[in-house]
Amino acid sequence: MTNPTRFGYHGCYLRVDVSLGSAERVPLTETVLRQFLGGSGLGAWLLLEEGNACLDALAADAPLAFVFSPLVGSPLTTSAKFAVVGKSPLTDRINDSLASSGFAIAGKRCGCDAIVIVGRAPELSTLIIDDGRVRLESAEDLRGTACHVAETTLKTRLGSDYQVASIGPAGEHLVRYATISHDGRHAGRGGSGAVLGSKNLKAIAVRGTARCEWAHPRELTDYSKALSKRSFGPATAKYRELGTAANLLTFNRLGVLPTRNFQSGTFDEAVSLSPEEIRQTHSRTRASCVACTIGCEHIYSLGDEKGVRLEYESLFALGPLCGVGDADVVLRASRLCDDLGIDTISAGGTIAFAMECVERGWLDEPWLSFGSGEAILRAIELIGRREGVGNLLAEGSRRAAQTIGHHSIAFAPQVKGLEIPGYEPRALQTMALGFAVGARGADHNRSGAYEVDFSDKVDRKHATVDAVHYAIETEDKAALMDSLIICKFLRGVFEDFYAEAADMLRCVTGWDTTADECRETARRIVHAKRRFNLLAGWTPEEDTLPDRFLDTALDGDPAAVLSREQLGTLVTEYHRQRGW
Amino acid sequence: MRVEFFGVPRERAGVAELELHAETLGQLITTLANRFPSLGDVITGDHLRSSFVANLNGDRFVSDPRTQLGEHDCVLILSADAGG
Repeated sequence: MTNPTRFGYHGCYLRVDVSLGSAERVPLTETVLRQFLGGSGLGAWLLLEEGNACLDALAADAPLAFVFSPLVGSPLTTSAKFAVVGKSPLTDRINDSLASSGFAIAGKRCGCDAIVIVGRAPELSTLIIDDGRVRLESAEDLRGTACHVAETTLKTRLGSDYQVASIGPAGEHLVRYATISHDGRHAGRGGSGAVLGSKNLKAIAVRGTARCEWAHPRELTDYSKALSKRSFGPATAKYRELGTAANLLTFNRLGVLPTRNFQSGTFDEAVSLSPEEIRQTHSRTRASCVACTIGCEHIYSLGDEKGVRLEYESLFALGPLCGVGDADVVLRASRLCDDLGIDTISAGGTIAFAMECVERGWLDEPWLSFGSGEAILRAIELIGRREGVGNLLAEGSRRAAQTIGHHSIAFAPQVKGLEIPGYEPRALQTMALGFAVGARGADHNRSGAYEVDFSDKVDRKHATVDAVHYAIETEDKAALMDSLIICKFLRGVFEDFYAEAADMLRCVTGWDTTADECRETARRIVHAKRRFNLLAGWTPEEDTLPDRFLDTALDGDPAAVLSREQLGTLVTEYHRQRGW
Repeated sequence: MRVEFFGVPRERAGVAELELHAETLGQLITTLANRFPSLGDVITGDHLRSSFVANLNGDRFVSDPRTQLGEHDCVLILSADAGG
């Protein structure tokens, strides 16, 4: 097959039908690649090309795409990333979740820019892609194993040059927020793990030898060295020195730390969960993804040989959101989610919602109470195996609310079905807009609008339409970063992100890309996601927040109130500025 | 007035909070820089570097060095980047 692009790409994707055990290489034109780049953008295009937006996310024919990018394999720091793109079984809308490390490099070396999987294997299987040759092997002996166990076993069995992405028991049981795990990182949000599970795939193992050339290798090397050097500076110090968990005390002080299912913005026991405190009682090591110079991962010991990666989102969701202030419990809960292959944000959000339902007498599970460490650990186990009340909670808070009734949907902490991350919307109102309009639901990775709220550009408790263009700006920027793909923790390093993105693309692909073209590409990608959602049944009414967040002030902060009318105005203006 | 440090500024200052007197934000930041040379990568001149922000009383974010401060104000110094 002729590669139309020559540099940075292979110019094709591998389409695998696991029902038939067959694969074909499908060409990608330079126009498509230049318009959608890779990662989330190319994934959205591939989904639209497959044309099955109305299918159930867990249907055999629903496609799931593992998408690489032009930068993968280059010396650019943080570029070893891949996107998993498909329809979410949690939201029934587009889902693009990203993960890092060797799988991206090995997958691209299979000689393709993406792997699109359709069909359903006859038994639980591993999809093995060896330099583009595809085969299925039974994974029945791996049924029920933790993500890291499946990965280690397969690498031992197949060879250490394979890179493996796998699901845990939660994916096998079609938990709607199951993750796909690789090297301890997770394509976490929206339930990609359940989609892989629905295809009867426990894992994908890839290795290859196909390498892309770079258009301007010397310039690329020089730029990469300079970027790496900048990545050691103050803009990334927080991630390097404390990790994302450093947000906890700051958010608590600002009253934006979601607590007890968003009933409060402060948590009395926050100090005991802060990284500053946890490191006094738990030894800590640091780690990086492959090809990353930031090193944001802080791994805490639980007294055994396997540490726990702790991120702010896991900490908030499994701690304050459920009223749990015991660091040991939060670390164990986080590890349990990783082993079972469960998104920690959705797990914490759904469990916290259930705890409030118990408190209100709507759910007869008296053991499931706020603040109980035993309860959160038990609930996660039950969810991962869909046992007892876990079968209900495995559906996510929106579907659980529909079953529980009592208009409990008002308190289900979700947008479009995706549980809200650790930013209190009433006190961060630009972020509230970002959550409301997000294509994959409430999400801090696709909208970084909190950045504006944490500045003097807006009044975070009284957002006006002036905030809308900031929300659009941050959403566009995230779309481009997720398509190039580079880590968002670099964003503070760039003086002019779009100009530098254009430069990276020029060095890698040889295209005469400009900053303006990159801006246009970002908008095109956001529009492509919306187009998929429209085909899947999206209506404007979905772009909102649950009743809890509207018209009622945040407990203890009378200024933090977001009226339904105000949010409606922001959303309408957002749609207008988007041209929708 | 009270000054509270969070995240990297707290690591650099080595304290969580302290009491100071200053009439403006610029004065306060200059005083901090003099008292804590270790805040060199947080502060430049009379303002914070771009990776850091100041917040007044847990409510309003401020950056103008001329911002007037009162005796009972509380200034928070924190990392600008809240992602995670």
